[in-house]
Amino acid sequence: MLSPSIRNLAISCAIFSLLIFVIPEDSHSADIGNCLLCHKYPGLSRVDEKGNLRLLYINEKTFNSSVHSRVKCEDCHTDIKKIPHDTAKKVDCLTECHITEPSTEKKFSHKEVQEYLDKSVHSIYDKKGGLKEYPEDMPTCKKCHDNPLFRPLSFFKGTRYGISEDSMSRCRVCHKKEEFIVKFYNHVTGRLHRIRNPQNIAETCARCHDNPDLVSKYGLSTKAVFSYGETFHGKAAKYLDERIPDCLDCHVNKGESVHQMLGHNDPRSSTYKKNKGKICSNVDCHPKASPKLAAYGMHAEFSLEQSPVQYFYTAFFIVLTGGTLLPLMGIIFLDLIRRLFPDAVIRRRKK
Amino acid sequence: MKDFIKRLYIIAWMGLAVLFMYIIWNVTFNHIIEEYATRQQATEIKQTREELKHKQEKSTFQKVILESEETVKLYLGYRVLEEKRIAGHFHHIDFSIGPDKRSYCITCHGDMPHDNLKEIRAFLNMHSFFINCQTCHVKLEKAKTRLTYKWYDRTTGDLVDSPVMEAAPGMYKAKIIPLEIVNGKYQRLDAKEKIEFANEYREREQTLTEAQKSRAKKLIHKRVSPQPHICEDCHQRENPLLPLRTLGYPEQRIDIILSTEVVGMIKKYTEFYMPRMLHPGERTKK
Amino acid sequence: MAKLPAIKIKDGKKYFFRFTLDQRIQHIVLFVTVIVLVLTGMPLKFHDMAWAAFVYKMLGGIRGAPIVHKVTGSVLLLLFAYHLVYLFYNIYKEELVPLKKAEGLSPLKVLKVLAAQPLVPNFKDAIDIRDLMKYLLFLTDKHPAPRKFSWKEKFDYWVPFWGILIIGLSGLIMWNKILATKLLPGYLINFSLIAHSDEALLAALFLFIWHWYNVHLSTSVFPMGTVFLTGYLSEGLMIEEHYEYYVEVMKKEGLEHEIRPPHGEHGHQARRKEDPPAAADTYNRREGDRTP
Repeated sequence: MLSPSIRNLAISCAIFSLLIFVIPEDSHSADIGNCLLCHKYPGLSRVDEKGNLRLLYINEKTFNSSVHSRVKCEDCHTDIKKIPHDTAKKVDCLTECHITEPSTEKKFSHKEVQEYLDKSVHSIYDKKGGLKEYPEDMPTCKKCHDNPLFRPLSFFKGTRYGISEDSMSRCRVCHKKEEFIVKFYNHVTGRLHRIRNPQNIAETCARCHDNPDLVSKYGLSTKAVFSYGETFHGKAAKYLDERIPDCLDCHVNKGESVHQMLGHNDPRSSTYKKNKGKICSNVDCHPKASPKLAAYGMHAEFSLEQSPVQYFYTAFFIVLTGGTLLPLMGIIFLDLIRRLFPDAVIRRRKK
Repeated sequence: MKDFIKRLYIIAWMGLAVLFMYIIWNVTFNHIIEEYATRQQATEIKQTREELKHKQEKSTFQKVILESEETVKLYLGYRVLEEKRIAGHFHHIDFSIGPDKRSYCITCHGDMPHDNLKEIRAFLNMHSFFINCQTCHVKLEKAKTRLTYKWYDRTTGDLVDSPVMEAAPGMYKAKIIPLEIVNGKYQRLDAKEKIEFANEYREREQTLTEAQKSRAKKLIHKRVSPQPHICEDCHQRENPLLPLRTLGYPEQRIDIILSTEVVGMIKKYTEFYMPRMLHPGERTKK
Repeated sequence: MAKLPAIKIKDGKKYFFRFTLDQRIQHIVLFVTVIVLVLTGMPLKFHDMAWAAFVYKMLGGIRGAPIVHKVTGSVLLLLFAYHLVYLFYNIYKEELVPLKKAEGLSPLKVLKVLAAQPLVPNFKDAIDIRDLMKYLLFLTDKHPAPRKFSWKEKFDYWVPFWGILIIGLSGLIMWNKILATKLLPGYLINFSLIAHSDEALLAALFLFIWHWYNVHLSTSVFPMGTVFLTGYLSEGLMIEEHYEYYVEVMKKEGLEHEIRPPHGEHGHQARRKEDPPAAADTYNRREGDRTP
């Protein structure tokens, strides 16, 4: 009675282990289903019923340098079983895929991220557990994430971007599969820093936090990324400094997942009034700073509503600058006219 | 002369002075005005908070159409990836070759003209990325002249050498176009005069009577055959429509294009969907 | 330092003493540092402009430029300190000591001496501005006749003076934010930033438009004023810009008979037609008009 089920189990184990071992060998590992036969064409696209562009093109080279490069297409697009296929459903990021997490040997899934997110300020649920008034405004995976691309770092005698051939040569001594080495190298060094640079992080947050409709709808006191952009941190980010703190560095407690972000009114939050000082004075930033530094208005704006004191203070300088320079420009202009007609007045007076 | 130059100099400076005033205004008092305007806007949004749907209807062309697409730069350190951002699109595009600027049809029908046949529209659009509309949509049934097929540059419209060997499949800066041979010279089916005719129709559409409109449309679409070429006209081993070798395809690629994989898939499609495709009357034309 | 002659004659043309070597060097250090500071600072203020990234990259980018900015800022602050010492030492040595010897000092007298300094704004400036407006609006052909320093030059002095004070102080606070916030609350940095950047904008636009126009680019001096290098001003410009002072210096040097007529009125024509007697007449008549 047991034998058929054992046989089935054995077969599926065999297939499964085959898959595991086959994946890293093939250079187009993700594309077992030969999806790229069609999807490599950039013109593969259509306009959907709502008038949105659906681009069905996959750039193989870029995809292969993304963190999902070892995941098969059908692991995410689970509803596609045959070619040709019908209109695909939206991908559910919480699906378990055939990648195994090496330390636990469990199938990989993003479920835990969702758990974090559900407890965060960005959850679609309110504190009592009911749906928020506008759950559609809250971020879903794809509102913030596109396919993350590896940003490998080379630490071989100095740090720079990209893969270090010198390090690779050492990997090759023991590991023979080039494909595996490259991916592993990318994965590890890419994870040692942010997968997106500060400017790209800020841009991601800006899509909602600088959207004037949302800012007004939720009565936020600032367009957060705009005001961040007016600080030295933000400006340095704009000039592509990688060391500069972005939104996530301050808005999450050190060591926690960024998906656990909390509102500034939550006493557990890193931006809660009493905790702010710790964030500024953390070991990587301003270690010797007193908690008073945290009173710096990181999101200060020239806005009467946000801070009347700062508004009038700034307005004073504006009036001073404009009030000094504009009359002087006027004098230059008059001076020029006078120089254009140096003798004009004399003739009139002589009459 | 010296006096004249001096006067010119003074006048140039007057222009500069005005420019400076404008700049100074912008960097000073204008901020106060802008801040006020932002506040007004914010109150307005708050007021319409309850009627958000109503607000969406009011949204302008600018907001809905022009601002819906943005370009993003991803700083990967070792390189900067610049691409169009499509909201909700997960995979990276990392590829751009610009629109086809020399096409008779695209001005009205757009870059992704295939919309009706749900099951294969993406495939058709994929092909129109490197095959000009007329290739499939003009059939010369009792042709006095014969059609030849060549590549033309998307931006300039000039005939060019085959791009097949230089780029990855389907990523060419050129498209295949049918050409007539008139008096020993190659001639496009959509001559410049015809494009002008179509453009003028677009500009004047609103002032025309119904009869004029339909006449103009008839003339513009004169050579469009009621039934286009179908997939199998090309994807078959025996006498395919497009002379792939002459178009510069290497044997290996021709094999793939005419392979059982592709042809088999087309067959599946044909079985399920082609009957509808062969009855264009069911389509609703815009 | 040896005292320089009030009038130098070169190729038959008179040049009038304006600035000592010390002052000229101070000025050169000032403008070099200011230009570097503006170039390394403005790309941060106008970070969303296309030119900003380019300029910033040229000056060391986000890693290099801030260092350049701080070093240059320190030089400027040292210059400012030196200038203050120079200024008050000179006033003390040249005016207060003789005054003390002559009649003794009181706070009021010191204030009077300070108020009488040639760069301190006074009532004559108001008159000059009024005269200038009349002249510019074609109401009169009479050019204003400022003293040693015209109101424009006083502006040129006090705007950077005030600017360095504010910008320097706020810059120091932002530079030493950790130290500053040991005592003071963090939002002080916000206020410093606003003051620093807005005041810098005022100073930069003021210097690069107004100051450069007046001393280099207006048709009287184009293509370049040379007084900041030589320390001496040509007679033509002296007449145009400091007529009252010109007359004073000429009289002091015993060159009364060589005094030329003021700029404006027949000035243009007189110079063109080489007609000094008529012009001199005009001058005398107008001088006569002015004295009651």
